[in-house]
Amino acid sequence: MSATAEAPPAAPERRRWSRGNGITVEPRVRAPLALQALVSAGSVLGALLVAAALLAASGNAPLSVYESMVDSSFGTPLAFSQTLIQATPLILTSLAAAVAYRMRIWTIGADGQFLIGAVAASGIALKLGADAPALVVIVASLAAGALGGAAWAAIAGAGRGYLRTNEVISTLMLNFIALGFVSYLIFGSGSFWRDPTSATQPLGKPIATNAQLPGLFEFADIGILLAVGVAVLAWAALRWTRWAFELRVVGSAPRAARYAGIDVPRKILSVMCASGALAGVAGAIVVCNVTEALDPRGLDPGLGYGYTGIVVAALARLSVVGIVPVAILVAALLSAGPALELTGVPNAVVVVLQGLILLLVAAGQFFLVYRVRRV
Amino acid sequence: MNDSTVIQFMVIAIGAGTPLVYAAIGEILAERGGVMNLGVEGMMLVGAVTAYWATAETGSTWLGVAAGAMAGMAMASLHAFLSVTLRANQIVSGIALVILGTGIAAYLGSAGPKLVDRPSGGTFEPILSGGLADLPVVGPLVFGHDLLVYGSWAVVALASWYLFRTRSGLQLRAVGEDPATADASGIPVARIRYVHVLIGGAGAGVAGAYLTLALFGSWSEELSNGTGWIAIALVIFSAWRPVRALVAAYLFGALTSLGFNLQLLEVPIPLDLLAILPFVMTLVALMVVSNLPSARRFGAPAALAEPYWREQR
Repeated sequence: MSATAEAPPAAPERRRWSRGNGITVEPRVRAPLALQALVSAGSVLGALLVAAALLAASGNAPLSVYESMVDSSFGTPLAFSQTLIQATPLILTSLAAAVAYRMRIWTIGADGQFLIGAVAASGIALKLGADAPALVVIVASLAAGALGGAAWAAIAGAGRGYLRTNEVISTLMLNFIALGFVSYLIFGSGSFWRDPTSATQPLGKPIATNAQLPGLFEFADIGILLAVGVAVLAWAALRWTRWAFELRVVGSAPRAARYAGIDVPRKILSVMCASGALAGVAGAIVVCNVTEALDPRGLDPGLGYGYTGIVVAALARLSVVGIVPVAILVAALLSAGPALELTGVPNAVVVVLQGLILLLVAAGQFFLVYRVRRV
Repeated sequence: MNDSTVIQFMVIAIGAGTPLVYAAIGEILAERGGVMNLGVEGMMLVGAVTAYWATAETGSTWLGVAAGAMAGMAMASLHAFLSVTLRANQIVSGIALVILGTGIAAYLGSAGPKLVDRPSGGTFEPILSGGLADLPVVGPLVFGHDLLVYGSWAVVALASWYLFRTRSGLQLRAVGEDPATADASGIPVARIRYVHVLIGGAGAGVAGAYLTLALFGSWSEELSNGTGWIAIALVIFSAWRPVRALVAAYLFGALTSLGFNLQLLEVPIPLDLLAILPFVMTLVALMVVSNLPSARRFGAPAALAEPYWREQR
């Protein structure tokens, strides 16, 4: 630079991207909480609007469809209780997704872990039988669910940690394998889980009622409290434990983590196991309380709790506390599905809504990372 | 000789592998440009339902294929907008596309006059009967297919030539490896990414059309059953190379049809366990491939799944 240069400095030095149409896009340092909530709410509203267009195009009145959805999930104490029963596993599978996604481990294996958890839990409950004390059966089946889910997740976790295997595809393959395995246990073999007295149609052996969680007033059962409790525990663990701190380091800077002496593959394995255990407990709760038998069709209705958990986790912006209300909201959507079917609207509209919500949440991220301004 | 089990097995494997070929080639082109689209399964389902519907309406299988491709592109355009323009997380966006596609396909299949009950408007049949198709061995394997199978061979050859022998292919690979450098040399990064994500959508759409118009001849919600996800895994096995993807697709086609064949032979293996075989093999193969010492050398495009923004350093 020459000392004689007298030209005034040009535009202020600001990192800025412009197309010359009067709009600039600048990165934000941090997104305000209100904006985050706005993006989530906007995603749900946007999804409802687009789905309304789809409904209208196929000859259904969107408003009355939405009205009957709200009615059938919040309208009566019984309906609300159904919603809470749906929310219980959903909170757990959403936590399963959020815990892993915070570490940038993109598992979509909650569905398979849920199923294997259900297999393990129903196996223990059936083995202990109707005469065992309820507390023993409940604790044993929940623990078995957690172990089953964690073991199933460990396959993909070890693959990602030690072999650098893409976890998105490996967990998905494990979902299909788990689904095939469960249907083999009931439809394809005379396994321990299959009811030998049902000759005409293959069914799961009924699980005795001593495996069921105690009721909670007139609303659902204590499962919802259990799920909320797990969410609080997860929040505390993520905030205050060394394990979670190291996971955060692994997630945001794997190389720094390695230099700091953190065993990165082992951390990845452990977070996958934690995620799998959460999904496995969800499977245990559903198999013991809702289907009351290992039922490949009824266990995981619609899109499946595992995949729906991804939508909830994204909508809650991976906030462990935020997951609880969001899960109840999305559970309302799920529990409205069957009622919709009665009015002649395909249940699939619920899946469309979930897809749209997730898509819009992903799009909305843009407004949280960048600020769009007129100049 | 041509009726022997082995030959029949290979013929079925080629049929079952063809949707994988279309979907995997499409995904290879998208990923070579640096955009990972996990939504293949969703695009494929929407393509399948649209193709079946269009053929039932018009009676033309070719219009069906065109409609399937367009539907796949429409779905892919969502992903392109999110991942290129909005720089969204491509994994989340891809999963959203799968959920949305599953929902839309199921909705279209069951809303109004149920597509499940609608008679097919036509299917793709082998183009040659007798003559060349009766030659021993090569007859059924080379001359016994429908036009979409030959189309898939042409697509593989074309994609291979395009990627490695043309200037546009070189530009595409440059965008996928190092978008900043490509941008500096005047290559339109965003436009190239958009175009190839759309091509990927068309590939998945045609794959879906093949399912309803050739392989099954009917529509059902469970029809793709993980085909799209296996196609994504094939892209990894093939190290982003079209010809290898063709070979891998036929291997997996063979696995998928193995259950059917073992049943014909009355081998006592439960069907449910055979049905999961392709997924087990994909998982095992994925774990082996990702740990090969050559994985780094033949690996993914360097900028895969990373949004590009000129101002970001």
